[in-house]
Amino acid sequence: MEEDGYGTLPTSHLLGSVPAVISEEKKSSLGEGGASPSNLNVFPPSVGVYQAPGSGNPLDGNDQSGTDWKGFFSISSYSPFFNVDTDVVVDRLMSSFYPRSNFFSKIDANPDLYGPLWISTTLVFMLAAFGNTATYVMQIKSDPTKAWNFDVGYVNWAACVIYGYTILVPLAFYFLLQYFGSHPSLVRFWCMWGYSLFIFIPSSLLLIIPVEILRWIIVLLAGGASSWFVSSNFKYYVEGIDMAALVVSALLLQFALSIFIKVFFFA
Amino acid sequence: MSDNDTIPLHPSSQSDIDEIESLIFATPSATVLPARPPSPPRATIPISVPVSTSPTPPSPVPPSIPITIVPTAPVATASGTRVTIGSDGFGSPPNTLTEPVWDTVKRDLARIVSNLKLVVFPNPNREDPGKALRDWDLWGPFFFIVFLGLTLSWSASVKKSEVFAVAFAVLAAGAVILTLNVLLLGGHIIFFQSLSLLGYCLFPLDIGALICMLKDNVILKIVVVGVTLAWSSWAAYPFMSAAVNPRRKALALYPVFLMYISVGFLIIAID
Repeated sequence: MEEDGYGTLPTSHLLGSVPAVISEEKKSSLGEGGASPSNLNVFPPSVGVYQAPGSGNPLDGNDQSGTDWKGFFSISSYSPFFNVDTDVVVDRLMSSFYPRSNFFSKIDANPDLYGPLWISTTLVFMLAAFGNTATYVMQIKSDPTKAWNFDVGYVNWAACVIYGYTILVPLAFYFLLQYFGSHPSLVRFWCMWGYSLFIFIPSSLLLIIPVEILRWIIVLLAGGASSWFVSSNFKYYVEGIDMAALVVSALLLQFALSIFIKVFFFA
Repeated sequence: MSDNDTIPLHPSSQSDIDEIESLIFATPSATVLPARPPSPPRATIPISVPVSTSPTPPSPVPPSIPITIVPTAPVATASGTRVTIGSDGFGSPPNTLTEPVWDTVKRDLARIVSNLKLVVFPNPNREDPGKALRDWDLWGPFFFIVFLGLTLSWSASVKKSEVFAVAFAVLAAGAVILTLNVLLLGGHIIFFQSLSLLGYCLFPLDIGALICMLKDNVILKIVVVGVTLAWSSWAAYPFMSAAVNPRRKALALYPVFLMYISVGFLIIAID
């Protein structure tokens, strides 16, 4: 060890304050056959070995191997569901407009929860904002003298309805399908139902137009497209079972949501 | 010791190394004060036998860099003297407990102002995320969020308490969720530093809300909110975009814009 200064110490590259950003290169893993690199640090290794029922990822029906689930309150156990780039998300958004695009095969390898989370949040704010704008426009048209007030209750209602729908409906279908013996994946259900809501965002912008018949046409079109998207992708998952009733109920639920949006927010 | 494959320096480390080097080489025989103030006298039990002065701790073996460290004053406790209870010698805590309240408040205010200047106003350190809010605090964000909620609530004519609740919940929960979003996308930020930054970036919207409360013209409101919204987004942009992988930059930034736009809409619409 030289004594002639700090510059040549072996840790000299670490001088300086701790930066907020660490640009590290992810070391390439020696993953063979799909083994997650983190398993190499875990003893006993859990790849290809019997895994106790409680230790796997509770959200993924089939692939228990290689998931490092560290409990409900650790961020790293949810990171695999946010492993998407901008172009991937944009691609999935665009494909939600076309009902026959085989959405499930697109997300099968890498379902993400980023889309559902931010699409539903955006929809909440859009409904609250544009719903209020629509009432403002209607009031200006009908009775310009009356004072208009921003109804904050719309935010609460929108949050309850949209978040409730996005979380509970896929959950209900997941449990129903499990009861009927199939092995669905809850994350993929959440992903698909979340992306199916994307079409309501531009349509809620269009619903500000105060012409009533136009509003109904827009609602029916958007609701129809969204329901068709949900049912055609859901059918893909229900193929093994002869349960047309489930598919129809999914379709009807989505349509009911669109009608509710029109009636409550854009009356 | 030929260690050639060192990891390249992070840009923010270089600025700190420059600081240290300028200190070292500016005045070769400058005395550098110790990193923390000398420890206060330790509490001792008074004894009747005169006690010789405790030996000064040996100053650390000076490296070849010509700094002379001011030795800590020898702590001599004569017999019979009661000494005020101090901590175990780590500098400032007893002083902040016994100082006047006005001093504490002044210090926190000064820190808020300096953080504000760093984050919200143009300054040469903006591109350096490590330096941006090294001295983060949560008083500033708290004050700005509550102020915005109060202003919105005051300017609302109906459902005032609900307006405050919605504004406060959206901003507070939004800051937490935005930070979690960046962490989940694989970005690297420090949780509280990010909360602090998102709170400080609300300052322009605060000003906008104040102006909108005082003048009730719709066109003016739209213009003011548009300007302050752009200012807030500009303030938050470098920090957020530097924290994630460049291919996911838009994914990390979009929710920030969403939150500020919805708050901006609340400001315009509430009258």
